[in-house]
Amino acid sequence: MKLSPAERSYLHDSLALQPPIRPDARSPAQFRPLEASISFLPSSNGSARIRLSDGSECIVSVKSKVVLTANVSSLILVDVDVSGYRDDSNFVSNLNYHLQSILNSHFPTAVLRLTSRYSFKIFVDCVVLLHTSYPLGLLSLTTYLALKTTSLPKLVSEVNDEEVEEQPTFSDDWDQSTPLIPTNSTFQPPLLFVVAVVGDNVFIDPSREEQEVSENGMIIGYETQGVISPFNNISLSDREVKGMKLLHVIKAHLLVKKCGEEVLKALNSVAKDEGGNAIF
Amino acid sequence: MDCITISKPAASHYDSDSDMSDVETGTTSSGLNASVVTPGELVTDDPVWMRGHGTYFLDEKTYSSVAGTISRVNRLLSVAPLRGRYTPETGDHVVGRVTEVGNKRWKVDIGGKQDAVLMLGSVNLPGGVLRRKSESDELQMRNFLKEGDLLNAEVQSLFQDGSASLHTRSLKYGKLRNGYFVNVPSSLIVRAKNHSHQLPGNISVIIGVNGYVWFSQTQSANPSYNASLNKQQAALSSGSSAYTPGQGSVSITRLEEESSWEIYSDVNDDIKPTVRNTITRYSNCIKALAHCEIGITEQRLVAAYEASTAYESAGALVEREVMESIGEDIINAEKMRG
Repeated sequence: MKLSPAERSYLHDSLALQPPIRPDARSPAQFRPLEASISFLPSSNGSARIRLSDGSECIVSVKSKVVLTANVSSLILVDVDVSGYRDDSNFVSNLNYHLQSILNSHFPTAVLRLTSRYSFKIFVDCVVLLHTSYPLGLLSLTTYLALKTTSLPKLVSEVNDEEVEEQPTFSDDWDQSTPLIPTNSTFQPPLLFVVAVVGDNVFIDPSREEQEVSENGMIIGYETQGVISPFNNISLSDREVKGMKLLHVIKAHLLVKKCGEEVLKALNSVAKDEGGNAIF
Repeated sequence: MDCITISKPAASHYDSDSDMSDVETGTTSSGLNASVVTPGELVTDDPVWMRGHGTYFLDEKTYSSVAGTISRVNRLLSVAPLRGRYTPETGDHVVGRVTEVGNKRWKVDIGGKQDAVLMLGSVNLPGGVLRRKSESDELQMRNFLKEGDLLNAEVQSLFQDGSASLHTRSLKYGKLRNGYFVNVPSSLIVRAKNHSHQLPGNISVIIGVNGYVWFSQTQSANPSYNASLNKQQAALSSGSSAYTPGQGSVSITRLEEESSWEIYSDVNDDIKPTVRNTITRYSNCIKALAHCEIGITEQRLVAAYEASTAYESAGALVEREVMESIGEDIINAEKMRG
């Protein structure tokens, strides 16, 4: 997106004011409204879709496979596909890396263990159909919902197969399936937030024009107990990135801490709501 | 204040079981399918009609190739699409963004099928109207307008392929600054006599016919401008006529005075936070109108703004329910007025 110099300075000055004025008048901690639907893909273990009012859309499907634990390096594999970008492009592999690494480090793979030899391997496949701003936040929210709605078939064979080698067998009844994340567990999948820095202000969920005038960007992880790693900085605009102050880091930390709880609450209430799987 | 809202997709109003064939299709006496047609729908089987845009001909029958309304001029039958790219017409007041600087011309994105052309000879250059265009002007075209710059212009003429040629030879046209750009579907813009308006709150708006909208701070009129205006007004009041001939146009002498480098400046004036807040509220209002598919006029924009003042923070206007309630307010208010 190319802005004229006058537009750019108008947007930048508005965002750098105290208090800041965002171009769509949102508060610094306010997300754009989302539209979510869950469990609509019949052949996957869990699925979710989130749309934004500007047409941005992301679909995530979670599938599982039984593997010999010794044979695989990671029990979670993320694959991101962004329409209009090559799969081996920097843009896509960066998104992939961020999602993969936060799941690797903050998802307890113990829940995927079936027997002493076998485990579930889960495949998280993400498609971004359309995006106007940096899609990592959207991808992360959708992945969260998809993981929350994932169910795995119930194991009926013996758990201890160390002495007698046995292939795991599962119950035919899908109603008996167990959720990947038990409803009573304290553990929740991790989230990633994108924060833009303009002047001394920080903004969550920046829109495209906000990104364009931003001086810096941050990717911040969040889990139930608070802000977690990673705490990366990225360039959200094509222009040169300015340095970051300690103030920005503190402000961003507080912002994510403030939003994170509400976002989790909103997402959990969506994930719980099973009735009516209308997706269009 | 909520920091996030997640809604469910609105339930579709279509009952997939219902038989579509029993929907009544009104047919006029001329054998034409009435109101709205969809792609592939039979428009007429009468071969006397000439086929215009948005139609195709198969087995002596005319079908619609787009979703839209039927329009006919004498024997020419065409379908005007409800959505789609902007089709320029001569005299349209448009807002555009420069995409390319070429040989004696700029390419301008106006949201149409092709970029419009703005010739170097169709702009006011610093130094007045009688100034000759020289080779040095050709070399420094980027000093006037460069890639990304926003401008407002009038469609001067159309080429054979439907692309437009623009001109900015009036002081009301030219480069845009001191404001914020919003894009809405061009089909929602209602063509009017005047497309630049003054809104309450010291805001000017240019509602381009192509759906590109520019909100800016109203320029405080400079003294020389006031003087000439006063002179005009004095002359008019003595003539005791309510009609202002050539309103908005200026005398050639003033054009010369004002055509300094300032008209190509990239630097914004000092804009107060209150003005910035008002601009964001207006821009959210116009997005709400577009969301509700309401035709955009100045009156409706002001009405939406007034309805939106019920919400203290203009940030509430990004929510779907709020936008829809404002849309309903406007429609109801217009119904009451008749």
